[in-house]
Amino acid sequence: MAQAGGFSFDLCKRNEFLEARGMKGPGFTKTGTTIAGVIFKDGVVLGADTRSTAGTTVADKNCEKIHYIAPNIYCCGAGTAADTENVTGMVASQLELHRYATGTQSRVITAMTLLKSHLFRYQGHVSAALVLGGVDFRGPHLFTVYPHGSTDSLPFCTMGSGSLNAMAVFEAGYKDDMSKEEAMELVARAIRSGVMNDLGSGSNVDLCIISKEGVEYKRNHEYLQGKTYERQFPQRFAAGSVPVVRERVYDIRKAVTVVEGEPMEMES
Amino acid sequence: MSIFEYNGSAIVAMAGKECVAIGSDLRFGVQLQTLATDYKKIYKIHDQLFLGLAGLGTDAETLSQRFAFKHNLYRLREERDIKPSAFGQMVSATLYERRFGPYFCQPVIAGLEPDGTPYLCGMDSIGAQETAKDFMVAGTATDSLLGICESLWRPDLGPEELFETVSQALLSGQDRDCLAGWGAVVYVITKDKVIARTLKGRMD
Amino acid sequence: MMRISCPLIDGPATSAAQDACGLRELGVGGAPVDSFPLPAVQDIDSFEREVVEYVKPNHGTTTLGFIFQGGVIIAVDSRASQGSYISSQTVKKVIEINPYLLGTMAGGAADCQFWERNLGRQCRLYELANGKRITVRGASKLLANTMFSYRGMGLSMGTMVAGWDEAGPGLYYVDSDGQRTKGKLFSVGSGSLYAYGVLDEGYRWDLSVEEAVELGLRSIYHATFRDAASGGTVSVYHVTQEGWTKVRGEDVGELHFRFYPDPAKHPCNSVDPLAV
Repeated sequence: MAQAGGFSFDLCKRNEFLEARGMKGPGFTKTGTTIAGVIFKDGVVLGADTRSTAGTTVADKNCEKIHYIAPNIYCCGAGTAADTENVTGMVASQLELHRYATGTQSRVITAMTLLKSHLFRYQGHVSAALVLGGVDFRGPHLFTVYPHGSTDSLPFCTMGSGSLNAMAVFEAGYKDDMSKEEAMELVARAIRSGVMNDLGSGSNVDLCIISKEGVEYKRNHEYLQGKTYERQFPQRFAAGSVPVVRERVYDIRKAVTVVEGEPMEMES
Repeated sequence: MSIFEYNGSAIVAMAGKECVAIGSDLRFGVQLQTLATDYKKIYKIHDQLFLGLAGLGTDAETLSQRFAFKHNLYRLREERDIKPSAFGQMVSATLYERRFGPYFCQPVIAGLEPDGTPYLCGMDSIGAQETAKDFMVAGTATDSLLGICESLWRPDLGPEELFETVSQALLSGQDRDCLAGWGAVVYVITKDKVIARTLKGRMD
Repeated sequence: MMRISCPLIDGPATSAAQDACGLRELGVGGAPVDSFPLPAVQDIDSFEREVVEYVKPNHGTTTLGFIFQGGVIIAVDSRASQGSYISSQTVKKVIEINPYLLGTMAGGAADCQFWERNLGRQCRLYELANGKRITVRGASKLLANTMFSYRGMGLSMGTMVAGWDEAGPGLYYVDSDGQRTKGKLFSVGSGSLYAYGVLDEGYRWDLSVEEAVELGLRSIYHATFRDAASGGTVSVYHVTQEGWTKVRGEDVGELHFRFYPDPAKHPCNSVDPLAV
């Protein structure tokens, strides 16, 4: 039971057998996703949509795809939701320990190396496509990390099923040394083009602006797709409208009685 | 056929005002054959925390036992019940450990945090967490349940209204699914009591 | 488009461009349809197998029929499913071919509906040509011939043809393999085994009509309880010398609680779901 950590493969044989018998394995929650990032004058802006999908169903209409890595580093994730969540979480905790050990700020390139070495080890089976951004003592950095472990370093980049839509916007609108407002507007527009035109992406736009001064995490920077239809006369069920067969009530109030104690005699 | 359709299940959980409810159907079957109608898919972790496990029955039972074991160890070490949010992380980590050979289970966690706020979360079979403020569904009747929950859920429902809403959603949802149904059970968790009720549903 | 012709059964096909559904009348009894467009692929069998995965037909059903002293009883459920999704709870699975003939549906809903309607047409033509009603034997043979001519091409039906003719009550089982069997008692569909269990236990030749109807009803009810793909309502038909009548139509949801008023006493309940 007590394990050193890492993956457990003990159900693989059984699952392989079941699959051979015609039992299809489960589909995992994917992020679908449009994620993007740009470098501007004094930092980076990361952006993401907020849809997660299970097959053709929208599993979560407002999920978070910009993950914390370090106080000065954040990372957008696309691909299998569990993989992006866990791979960023693992790197975040490794960096936390590294900061405790060294007392220095984490470097973006360290995060990038940790990510790529993990992903390369699993040969693409850990399917996380990432846009990593942050600011360290060398200035702003922006990387893309592919599921197989290759990386890019570019002034603007996109990932996920909506990456083509977002990249079109970047190609048309990117300039060197943009102001923060310009960069935010450009990233939001790129994500919006994914939300509107890519079926795998949707809902809202999250932004994360990292500069020397600090981090601004703008959750639902643009709230694009709230419920368009609210019931004017919501369905209300009177108590007792469902046929109940049996009922049992468990009282779980903690039975705590306060016993007044005698003050203890203290020897002087 | 998908492995998730081997036994069949319907689970729904909803958050209310300082209360949560979680319910499941009662069928246990092997593919199309119904074997029992008293098989609930909801497990109590502690008084304020319930776990629903949809998917392959054998894996659901194994997992429920592992979680009970882990929670017992937690209680020995910490001398308190686990917080629902912490339990969610634990379930997620347990499932992700088997990333390349998963348990064929989809958990739904419903509970009250120590301060009384509702906590709801669901996961896929490898532990991708999805927290929700409104409702969470799992099982073979997911599509039907999502639709009806989307329509019936309202914010700040009281315990009794929440019970009616969850029950209506569950009964309507499972009536459109071959592999789930045959009665239902619903738990409403409030600060000082848990109300358990079985419902009369279609038996076909 | 590739076409298949069955000259052995139909005589030579007249024209390749003729009506694909075969609504062309050919003399006595109406010949089985001899031309039907087939998918233009190399391997029809594997193509069918693949395609059926996308368009899953209604496979889950329980139907039954039996002959007894008072005539023929036909009973069916009313559920239609696509995979595990219940697409309807109110499907009519008895096809009223004419006032003296009934056909039941199991397997592909579209296949059954189309070909039994087609059978009705052929039976009417027989009547017009010969001035007398077709026998149950004859009608079931027409359907079996049609089925045989499309054997192996992906049709899916399991049907019972029941009725009354000069020879008395008649009941035949016909399926898409081309099999045709005369018998006193049949049950067809995914829930048929459960229905057989109840049916065999309760069947006697000298059942009264009320008892026979109740037996049909109970058999279908028990099948809907155990079989996930059967459910909805139970419909019971009774065929006599005067033709068929529909005698019962009951919601299974209510039927269960009439048979088992206390859910806790049902044999499938032994654990208390409320215990935590």
